[in-house]
Amino acid sequence: MDVAIQILRDLRGLRVHVVHPPDTERTRLIEHLRRIGCMVETQWPVPDCWADGADIVLLAIEHDVREDIQHLLKSDTAHRPTIIAIVSYEDPSTLQLVLEAGAVAVVERPIRPFGLLTNLTIARSLWLERRDAEKRMRKLERKLAGIQRIQKAKVILMDGQGLNEAEAYESIRRQAMSKRLSMDDMAAAIIHANELLQYRVKGD
Amino acid sequence: MAVADDNPDVWRVGVLFSQTGVTQGIERTQLNATLLAIEELNASGGILGKAIEPVMYDPASDPKKFRAFAERLFQVDKIKLLFACYMSSTRKAVLPVAEAHRGLLFYPTLYEGFEYSRHCVYTGAAPNQNSLQLAKFLFSAYGNRFLFVGSNYIYPYESNRVMGDFVSQGKGKILDEIYVPLYPDPKDFERVISRIKTTSPDVIFSTVVGSGTAQLYNAYRAAGFDPTRMPIASLTTSEAEVAEMGAEAAEGHITAAPFFETLSSPAARRFVSSFKAKYGANAPVTAGAEASYFQLHLAMRAVAKCGTDDPEQVLANLRDAEFDAPQGRVRIDPENNHTFLWPRIARLDRNGRFQAVWNPGVRVKPDPYCVVQSLDDWSVDELPLLHS
Repeated sequence: MDVAIQILRDLRGLRVHVVHPPDTERTRLIEHLRRIGCMVETQWPVPDCWADGADIVLLAIEHDVREDIQHLLKSDTAHRPTIIAIVSYEDPSTLQLVLEAGAVAVVERPIRPFGLLTNLTIARSLWLERRDAEKRMRKLERKLAGIQRIQKAKVILMDGQGLNEAEAYESIRRQAMSKRLSMDDMAAAIIHANELLQYRVKGD
Repeated sequence: MAVADDNPDVWRVGVLFSQTGVTQGIERTQLNATLLAIEELNASGGILGKAIEPVMYDPASDPKKFRAFAERLFQVDKIKLLFACYMSSTRKAVLPVAEAHRGLLFYPTLYEGFEYSRHCVYTGAAPNQNSLQLAKFLFSAYGNRFLFVGSNYIYPYESNRVMGDFVSQGKGKILDEIYVPLYPDPKDFERVISRIKTTSPDVIFSTVVGSGTAQLYNAYRAAGFDPTRMPIASLTTSEAEVAEMGAEAAEGHITAAPFFETLSSPAARRFVSSFKAKYGANAPVTAGAEASYFQLHLAMRAVAKCGTDDPEQVLANLRDAEFDAPQGRVRIDPENNHTFLWPRIARLDRNGRFQAVWNPGVRVKPDPYCVVQSLDDWSVDELPLLHS
């Protein structure tokens, strides 16, 4: 199925937390989120940390609770849900908070039903893209570090045992297999052992 | 006399349905039904002793004119309640005007869903009240290889997306998707006919609206296709479009709607006979007309209850209100301002009259934000197919 339609389809049943002071705007907002098909919970005052199981948080940027919002934003940055900011102003200090929140969409007051579905869709799509990109980046970083370690271990073996590059690689691979380690762990062990050896040499 | 100054002795309401232009056929039936309901209420003493006075213009199937006349109705004629619109493009033009003037629009037409406004009450079918049922019926009666043909605007695209999703759930195939202009030329349908010949689908799903509908059905008939094996199925081909195309071109084709002129319930018979008594035996009575009729009754009953036509109070009074409409008992859903309706499917007979082929007697809650519906939402047991 179409990716765009899949995002819309998944919106139904998402757990949406509305961090917003109780008033008629909040009531209308919740009504419309339910109409769209989301499962909605409300929180106020601003909580200390992200609620368990919230997929999307609609966060009211209120200046009188600025510190509470900043405190919330510092908590558990690894598990941040999709954040949509609700704003009454677009002055720099509001926008600063919106950016710090990592908001992927903004809903302006007065809140109207028209546009909310669009904002939810864009926010979710950007957040999913961002999450996938971060995952891919972490994987690549790990892979790159592994390659660098193997390279370093090869150089150690080439220098110490007079092997050529292919022989050094083969030596690491064989040892890894016989010790049931990954190539990366084997390379790390060689580097570590070499460091110990270097230390003794220097210490003499 | 007849100056648009404030008359405290009447309830002045706005009415905008096209009497000219591409959708005049269907919109005239909506206008007629609105005026019939007003006449009935006035004949029985009006609302709280005051008569209802409709203020009407002809917006000529044109969104710009719809918007201009809506402005005039709210600003100059000082109406609060507006009964209007067939095509979505015209509703989208009128709704911001109703919102800006804190009015209330009553919209008596099926549409593509994905809308809610505190300033609109939707009394036609949402896609979960007609498309799903139609898809299941077509799969079991004809097959799952579809060709889509529609007018080029928002409603056909979204309807085709919904129907396309059912087709893929039903492991079927969309053989082609063709859009013709809202004001089509005969040659636009030549292309459609040649694609039907080449692809030979099980069903042609048509979202063509207005006067193009008769052209499509006539072109189909002229090509000699067999509607018992490959019918045109539609949500918008009503008694009004059938009147334009004639019985021969109409025979064998399928429409899903909450109301047909041929319904046999006493409430339906009463409505149809009052309509024909006023407008003539050949005046078509459509689902859009039925929605126009019951929504006016519903709105004015709410006015009677709260003693004002203030939209906020009328809306509060409408919510959860039950009303015995010609199609059956309907109710405005307080969650979304749409209406609980009775889905039905009918086939056109040799006299160009709709005969029910599926009429489960189940009222369905509106779900205007339903992105994807599952075909399994209705089990086969609930589809007692009557092959006639």
